[in-house]
Amino acid sequence: MDYIWQWNQIWDYRQVFVRGMQVTLILTCWALLIGLVLGLALGLMRSSRLWLLRVPAAIYIDIFRATPILVQLVWIYYALPILSGVQMGNITSASVGIGLHAAAYIAEIFRAGIASIDRGQSDAAKSLGMGYGQAMRRIILPQAVRRMVPPFINEFATLMKLTTLGSVLAVNELLHEAENLINNTYRPLETYTVVAVLFGLMIYPFIWLSQRLEQRWKTRG
Amino acid sequence: MSDTPIISVAGLHKSFGKLEVLRGLSFEVQRGEVLAIIGPSGSGKSTLLRCLNFLEEYQAGEVRFDDQLVGYRRSGGGKLKLDSENNTRRIRARMGMVFQSFNLFPHKTVLENVMEGPLVVQRVSRNEAEQRGRTLLQRVGLIDKIGAYPAQLSGGQQQRAAIARALAMQPDAMLFDEPTSALDPELVGEVLEVMQSLAAEGMTMVVVTHEMGFARQVADRVMVMDRGEIIELAPPAQVFGAPKSPRTAEFLRRVLH
Ligand SMILES: Nc1ncnc2c1ncn2[C@@H]1O[C@H](COP(=O)(O)OP(=O)(O)OP(=O)(O)O)[C@@H](O)[C@H]1O
Ligand SMILES: [Mg+2]
Repeated sequence: MDYIWQWNQIWDYRQVFVRGMQVTLILTCWALLIGLVLGLALGLMRSSRLWLLRVPAAIYIDIFRATPILVQLVWIYYALPILSGVQMGNITSASVGIGLHAAAYIAEIFRAGIASIDRGQSDAAKSLGMGYGQAMRRIILPQAVRRMVPPFINEFATLMKLTTLGSVLAVNELLHEAENLINNTYRPLETYTVVAVLFGLMIYPFIWLSQRLEQRWKTRG
Repeated sequence: MSDTPIISVAGLHKSFGKLEVLRGLSFEVQRGEVLAIIGPSGSGKSTLLRCLNFLEEYQAGEVRFDDQLVGYRRSGGGKLKLDSENNTRRIRARMGMVFQSFNLFPHKTVLENVMEGPLVVQRVSRNEAEQRGRTLLQRVGLIDKIGAYPAQLSGGQQQRAAIARALAMQPDAMLFDEPTSALDPELVGEVLEVMQSLAAEGMTMVVVTHEMGFARQVADRVMVMDRGEIIELAPPAQVFGAPKSPRTAEFLRRVLH
């Protein structure tokens, strides 16, 4: 219990943390973009009446939810190039891997949001003569989006945490930079503490926001 | 042309999986007629109404609206095939529907709710849609609630707004599914009044209801359903005064205590 904390050395290496955070944010952004676009498409497909759209989306979602993301990442990094001949850099691999993974969860958020809207709403829209697309766009989605926002922000926070898995592909995100640093400084305690605090600072605002929105929309009904 | 029934149903069968809910119904609704449908819970009244505008698919028989087959079309060999969404939508747009739970669009104001159909489905100008909306909301007594959201209205006001929303499409017939069943007793009257004035204007109406007073006074004919069948279809005086079927008598005894 008489550990002597040495912060000055960590301060000297502050640039390393900044660099790591930048990569973490880049990973997060790309993964989010992929996850969002693909997730929205999958979520709509999953809610479709046509099985040709619904079933493939369901299979995709189940596969990505039933396998560990670490396995998905190494598979995309090591196995995919052999099968497809497409060699991706490690940042790209990690972004794509995390994005594909997040898409499965975002799709579920999306589907659940649509499913949560009372059937009477689409009945009313249809009885006016609206088509499926019109009812979706003008009646269902505007109501569903509200309910999707809190879980969606949560998913965003999860996604940022998942970027640390990039370290297994030697992506220089925050955690990996920290591990490299420890090899030079032999100060794991201080370094990991800083990493934890930085992640907390980056992620907590979103968790807070999500809780706030959930509260507010609950009370407004 | 105007002698042909606006709605005609022949041999209509509808099942949910193994559960047969409608067992071969046939009847017609004339233009300008008010048909009240009564019957015990679970007898298939809502399902029948939802088949009329094809919110539910049916498995056998025909529903015709203004002589057009609803939801299906005949293919070359005479077999029935699902009609295109566009055709079904066109027919639906000619029938207004009012639901037990109102189903107003909660993210739109009362006026926007009423304008939605004309704007999006009939593609009339914003001016025209607003004009129609204001006229109808005036008529159902909601002109001062134009900018309110549904959650800010009482049940009776919501249902009147829902009726205005359906009327904004200038439909040829109106379908009502227990429009007053979700209302507090003191709010029932204001909705029935609107419906009564519609009937007086000659609107064709099919009304599923538990309001025996309405069925007796406003309806031209009353249909009694039980277990997916029509057990009585006659003018109210006959149904209430001298029911032919013992099941009708039994049902009326229960609801009129
Ligand atoms: N979407 C559905 N899926 C399966 N069964 C259904 C569905 N809708 C209705 N049913 C069943 O069909 C039967 C008739 O239901 P329906 O709602 O038409 O009765 P109803 O006469 O309108 O009754 P109520 O007076 O209670 O409204 C019931 O047994 C009901 O459980
Ligand atoms: Mg019903």
